[in-house]
Amino acid sequence: MASPSTHSPESMLPPRSEVGVIGWLHANLFSSPFNTVLTLISGVLLALGLWFGLKWIILIADWTVISELGGRFLLGRYNTEAACNGQNCFWRPQAALIMVSVLLGAAWGLRGNRVARTVAWLVAGVSAAFAFLPYSLETMGLDVRILLLLNLPAVPLGWALARYTPLGTGSRVTMLGVAIFFLTLVLLRGLPWLPFLQPVSVVYWGGLSLNLILAVGGITLSLPIGIALALGRRSNLPVVKVLCVFFIEVFRGVPLITLLFMSQTLVPLAFPEDMPQNSLFRAAVVITMFSSAYMAENIRGGLQALHPGQAEAARALGLPGWQTTLLISLPQAIRNVIPAIVGQFIGLFKDTSLVYIIGMLDVVAIGRSFIQSNPEFLPNARELFVFLAAVFWVFTYGMSYISGKVEEHLGVGRR
Amino acid sequence: MVSASRYLTYQGIPVWRHVQVIQWTAQIVSGILVVALVAWFFTNMANAIQDRDIPYGFSFLAREYQTPIGEHFIPYESSDTFLYAIIVGFTNTALVAVFGVVLATALGIFIGVSRLSGNWIVSKLATIYIEFFRNVPLLVQLFFWFYIVLALPPIRKGYVVFDWFYLSNRGFSIPWPHASNLTVALIWLSLALAALLAGVLIYRRQSRNEELTGRSGYPLIYGAATAITLGALTWLALSFATGASPFFISVPEPHGRFGNLVGGFTARAGLLVLLIGLVMYTASFIAEIVRAGIQSVGRGQTEASRALGLSPMNTLRNITFPQALRVIIPPLISQFLNLTKNSSLGGAVAYSDLTSIAVTMTQTAPAVSIFMLIMASYLAMSLTWSLIGNLYNRHIQFGGR
Repeated sequence: MASPSTHSPESMLPPRSEVGVIGWLHANLFSSPFNTVLTLISGVLLALGLWFGLKWIILIADWTVISELGGRFLLGRYNTEAACNGQNCFWRPQAALIMVSVLLGAAWGLRGNRVARTVAWLVAGVSAAFAFLPYSLETMGLDVRILLLLNLPAVPLGWALARYTPLGTGSRVTMLGVAIFFLTLVLLRGLPWLPFLQPVSVVYWGGLSLNLILAVGGITLSLPIGIALALGRRSNLPVVKVLCVFFIEVFRGVPLITLLFMSQTLVPLAFPEDMPQNSLFRAAVVITMFSSAYMAENIRGGLQALHPGQAEAARALGLPGWQTTLLISLPQAIRNVIPAIVGQFIGLFKDTSLVYIIGMLDVVAIGRSFIQSNPEFLPNARELFVFLAAVFWVFTYGMSYISGKVEEHLGVGRR
Repeated sequence: MVSASRYLTYQGIPVWRHVQVIQWTAQIVSGILVVALVAWFFTNMANAIQDRDIPYGFSFLAREYQTPIGEHFIPYESSDTFLYAIIVGFTNTALVAVFGVVLATALGIFIGVSRLSGNWIVSKLATIYIEFFRNVPLLVQLFFWFYIVLALPPIRKGYVVFDWFYLSNRGFSIPWPHASNLTVALIWLSLALAALLAGVLIYRRQSRNEELTGRSGYPLIYGAATAITLGALTWLALSFATGASPFFISVPEPHGRFGNLVGGFTARAGLLVLLIGLVMYTASFIAEIVRAGIQSVGRGQTEASRALGLSPMNTLRNITFPQALRVIIPPLISQFLNLTKNSSLGGAVAYSDLTSIAVTMTQTAPAVSIFMLIMASYLAMSLTWSLIGNLYNRHIQFGGR
């Protein structure tokens, strides 16, 4: 019996131009003459961009406009004499921030999620770092700095709450989140019958906190409303269907800015005069409804892409219609359109900057009004808007990064 | 056994368990609720209009608007009517929408293709572009460009190329064709359109011949030659007959002490900023749509095309892209809609678009009526884009599948 030959054929190493750094360079940058030219042109462009960009950021740009605006970026005109009228209200947004840190810590403690941990420590760390900003003690008092530092112990506190107390279930942490959102609103708005919590009119709300409040409220509500609208649009009940289609198409057909302006001129007329009016609330409702209409179309797309066999199998197993929808169709549909949903969330966050049309001073509008009322900073408008772009970018890119992680976790595209 | 007739039944089933009865009751109830809500809103509004003497109705449309409009591309005077002012705003918005859509599509396709390039630097640059412009609010980008343009030097010291192009803090001026005589220009334009049609017909015939016989028919060369020759001939004939050419190129020239530019076409700061901002922003979304579309075409298509000996460029142009279009078109149309609606931010950068004119109008005219008109206008624009998109979509879908 012939034994298999132990002599292996002469093996050759791959040519040097296909392995290692040279191989990578050859494959990715210089694979053809055309590619080489492209590489050279874009390389020169990149080098020039980096050179002038960095030179501008480090040497030419004058960032004093940012430090001059300081806390107004975050709070707008909230902590001013006009808004608080003889009381101390600097602690209210700080307390809200600490609650958010506790909540993020609890979210981390819930499942020991790495992303949640990073986000929690990032938020608390950045807040605590603000305590060391080189402002004088008159501009930024010791009390403010201490409250900012308290964000650091708040994270482990939330973590411990989720780990060692009955709070540590998903639904309870969610309820805690909703409670903290409303508590934040109450804290910022104030209550007339509490002497240390006198009301602050919403016209003084502003800065990034306003964008975040509008975005968080809008995101939490637009998903369920969007789901309801999408289901309504696909339902076979004619009245429900017509109402949903009408709502979706009207809100999608008109620019948000027009809707926001209408919410200030027309909507007050539609309610009795003696009803309490709140322009910020109306704007929040409009932004949420606008986003819900888009959300509904995204989810409808997901539902349409679902194989009808899924629903048929569920019905064959004896699930009633509503359970088929809630337990079989919707979860799969939503999982498949996560990128579109997160894209809509990001869009909503970006759209919160449009509240300038109703005179609210969000983070963009406060910067712009500062430039306009202080013409000496007019040449620094570039620095201001580059900074604002960076701030928004961090949030929106963070959202799409987390969505990528969620998709990975759910195994989208692998099943 | 309890007989069913003891209960209120329909088709032998107790009504509270009869699916159709439940569904219809729910629908009727929700319908009544919505109607009641709308009626309540309207009574409140009617009361408010009566109590507070708020004007309403559409008679204001015939009144003089008496407010200057910063930028207009059809003639406008302050003595023109509200209706005409709304039309001016509509043309302003439509102009930005059309130019913006064309430029954003071109840039978006370029960047989307670059992102898929095998060249590492090119694809990374495209990724950076997309991730940056997509994630920053359009308003921030518009303000950024706005203050960049404002910080440009005045016309006398601005950037000039060949004495034709002027870039300054007033905007961007370029040479532009002007009609010397409106009738002659219109006659030539219609003749040129006919010439173009003839060119298209020739192109079609030649490409059909090419397909049938397999011999090169040079359709593009023949078509273009026909159109250009006919266009030039009619131009010459009209110039001879009337003694003046239908159009002349007017070049912007600085006049007076402040160097106001006369002639040419000037995209003023507002229009310039709005166009740049909208194009850069929308292009980043279009790039992602193009990338997803191209990736949706099976690898086998590219490989087969390369195996047949087509160059990468030809593969993209003739094999991948036409197939990708079927996936690209529907979301692309919704980006066109978004661009049109986003042009309503023009008011923030001093461009008189439809929304900003409407907002100004509400100070002197009934807001309810104005917003009904504005909503109808945007809806009309949306429908137009959808219609164009659907027609094109039907044209490029596979037949018979």
